[in-house]
Amino acid sequence: MKLGHKAFSLFFTTILLFTSIAQAQTETYRARLSPMPTTPQTVSTILGEGEVILTLNGNTLTVQGQFEGMSSVATMAHIHNGPPAQPGPVVYQLEIADATSGEVSASLELSDIHVEALRANELYVQIHSETNAPGELRGWIFERQ
Amino acid sequence: MKFLNTITVLTLSRNLAFAVFLGLALAACDSEVSNTEEDVVALTFSSQADAGASAFATNCAACHGANLEGTTLGPILSGFNFLQRWGSQTPTLLLGNIKANMPPGGAGTLTDDDYLDIVAHLLEANGVDAVVNALTASTDFVISENISSVVQRQQRAEPPAPQGVTVAGNVDDFVPFVPITDAMLENPDPADWPMHRRNYYAHSYSPLDEINTDNVGSLSLEWVWNMHEGDSEPAPLVYNGIIYLINPGNVVQALDGKSGELIWENWAGPANRQDMRNIAIYDDKIIQATTDARLIALDARTGEQVWETIVADSSKGFSNSSGPIVADGKVILGLAGCARYIPEDCYISAYDANNGELKWQFETIAEMGQPGGDTWGGLDDVFRAGGETWITGSYDPDLKLTYWGTAQQKPWVPVSRHMTIFDVGLYTNSTVAVNTDSGELDWYFQHVPAEALDLDEVFERVLVNRGDDKLVFSLGKYGILWKNDRVSGQFKGYTETVFQNAFTNINAETGEVTYRQDIQNAQLNEWTSACPSSAGGKDWHSMTYHEPSGTMIAPLSQTCLENAAREVALVQGGGGLAASRKFFEMPGTDGNLGKVGAYNVDTMEEVWSHQQRASLHTGTISTAGDLVFVGDLDRRFKALDVHTGEVLWQTRLGTAVQGHPVSFAIDGKQYIAVTSANGGTSPRTVPSVIATEIKYPSRGNAIYVFSLPE
Repeated sequence: MKLGHKAFSLFFTTILLFTSIAQAQTETYRARLSPMPTTPQTVSTILGEGEVILTLNGNTLTVQGQFEGMSSVATMAHIHNGPPAQPGPVVYQLEIADATSGEVSASLELSDIHVEALRANELYVQIHSETNAPGELRGWIFERQ
Repeated sequence: MKFLNTITVLTLSRNLAFAVFLGLALAACDSEVSNTEEDVVALTFSSQADAGASAFATNCAACHGANLEGTTLGPILSGFNFLQRWGSQTPTLLLGNIKANMPPGGAGTLTDDDYLDIVAHLLEANGVDAVVNALTASTDFVISENISSVVQRQQRAEPPAPQGVTVAGNVDDFVPFVPITDAMLENPDPADWPMHRRNYYAHSYSPLDEINTDNVGSLSLEWVWNMHEGDSEPAPLVYNGIIYLINPGNVVQALDGKSGELIWENWAGPANRQDMRNIAIYDDKIIQATTDARLIALDARTGEQVWETIVADSSKGFSNSSGPIVADGKVILGLAGCARYIPEDCYISAYDANNGELKWQFETIAEMGQPGGDTWGGLDDVFRAGGETWITGSYDPDLKLTYWGTAQQKPWVPVSRHMTIFDVGLYTNSTVAVNTDSGELDWYFQHVPAEALDLDEVFERVLVNRGDDKLVFSLGKYGILWKNDRVSGQFKGYTETVFQNAFTNINAETGEVTYRQDIQNAQLNEWTSACPSSAGGKDWHSMTYHEPSGTMIAPLSQTCLENAAREVALVQGGGGLAASRKFFEMPGTDGNLGKVGAYNVDTMEEVWSHQQRASLHTGTISTAGDLVFVGDLDRRFKALDVHTGEVLWQTRLGTAVQGHPVSFAIDGKQYIAVTSANGGTSPRTVPSVIATEIKYPSRGNAIYVFSLPE
């Protein structure tokens, strides 16, 4: 019984250790989605909000988020590469619901350069819609507090 | 009645179009040379108005309402409000105003014909019924004289706008008036708030401590007084228990601080709805600047006018939106509205407090042949614009220096100015230290040379003594808190209070900034994305220095912009601002537009911050009760712990809390006063398009006074 108890303790400790290592390797990020640059003339046509949670494990980035209230149905969603408040090129495609509210998701294998860009806050999520083809919602990705 | 004749007039641009059309027709068929202007659909006021209705719906209705009824984003443009503002003006002046300012962030983006059509639409919708001729850029009839209903009303002898004393009374009936001296201004009674930032050092700090961190939770409304409607960001004065309050439209009121009873009221005119931030008190006079660039002294006891002087020619666009500071018997005033290409430049000027006699002027634009005159890229003097001083300065009585911030060059982007990023344009976007006796420049420090994003450094200068160091602090739209030696101007340090990405480097030794490459090279009609936006960083809402803890506590804003320069011809009489803008949330702020930040003035490190969704619309004040007071767009007026930023008390007012809080005491009892107000330019426009869920009434200017229950 004693041996069995020790074995169980060793097994449990090992599991905890691996879990801790796995958790230590996982980084969680968040993007708050808000309307693209707007003016008093466009404020009623560039609408919506949302939140995207991104989990990095190794170079694998799991993307899961929601959006709602856009002026028209979503057409595309991307991750772009640009430092905060400086637009840049598309680097990854995301899957998105064909609706004004819904989910956005993806499982991506990031390049090492883009992992560094993620950690440097130089990636952002952008959602396009039928009436706002250049983009309606956008949010830079920061480490989740 | 001055009804216009019926000769058809085509605008210049449409004449050109007609000429092209006629030319093509002639080329196509020589025999059909009998075409005349009558064969072309003649342009009329009515057809312009029809086109204008469409242009208005596209470009203006989002803010002003489809029926000109106004919204929280823009004022009503019909009926009495429109006539009060524009009835005595001409279509040309209305056109000029709209072209210079509308749409917000995109002024000048419409065609000349669109602007003219929109003016026609506004006039027709407001009952202009006696016009046949098409409007031109120089149509100069008086608008109200072409509205038959108004003409009929005027024939019934409608009273003109009030002028002078409209409510008679005497402060002596409430409390014996004691003339205020230089010594009293240098060391204000703890019970008073006798100038816009309470003391010459602009600390916005009250030594009163009856209301403190232990009991502020019991703070209750004592009384409220509705103010005149219009744009308003007021800083009340309180002297010997009397509140002197500047209202929109150049109206000054004296109120009993204990009861809220009106003692006297004076209308200096023009009776518009425009904003004036502050007034001054000296000797037995209340001294006010007017929105049309006059300076007026009123008897502090009765409100009767004592003297008046012209500061600048308002017909050339000059104006004032902030009032004076009185230093050593001199009334020192800035100037705004200096974006036009005219020979006259902006200046700070000083006047004898006894009679309004001009003592000196200091021009904020260096001209050819003057020191600094070679920093404007060789531009002719007439095309050197900007350098407004639209926020009141501070004063060091020992050094006899007055400290002012200057606004940036105009237009906003170097390429629009026909200049480069290396044409720094002295003395714009600087701190200038001016001798109060001579008006001569003692030193300057240019914080952001060759400014390129409409982010000026014009705001209050806060004077701080730390040991033997005599310092001056400032915080502009870039959100950078600057520390300089106020004897020499030497750079002493900085800290970034909000995220900024306009500069890639700020030299820690010299304070020299390096713009991002794409901002340096911005071309016409190219969008540049940067933080903060033109709402600031920090804007006109003043910061407070809490001397007991050595912290500077600032109301900050977290938004960003995209900016695109437009072309501006170098034509005398032209000029302007000339950029299109869009606005968005600042990344990394979780959508919090408002931030109160506290900074240790020795280490320049952030001590604490309080962040919230609603933008802040008052200055901050601090008290010896270890409290900070601030108000926001969401109608909340809050008290924070000066050491931690914890919110200890809050209440909601009738509309957005806007202006500058003050604290005073009467018979040993401490009061806190704050205004609610509308208007406020970029700091209101930007949050209104980003935080659209925040609602507030478009009316409700008032002053609220709070105290502890007996």
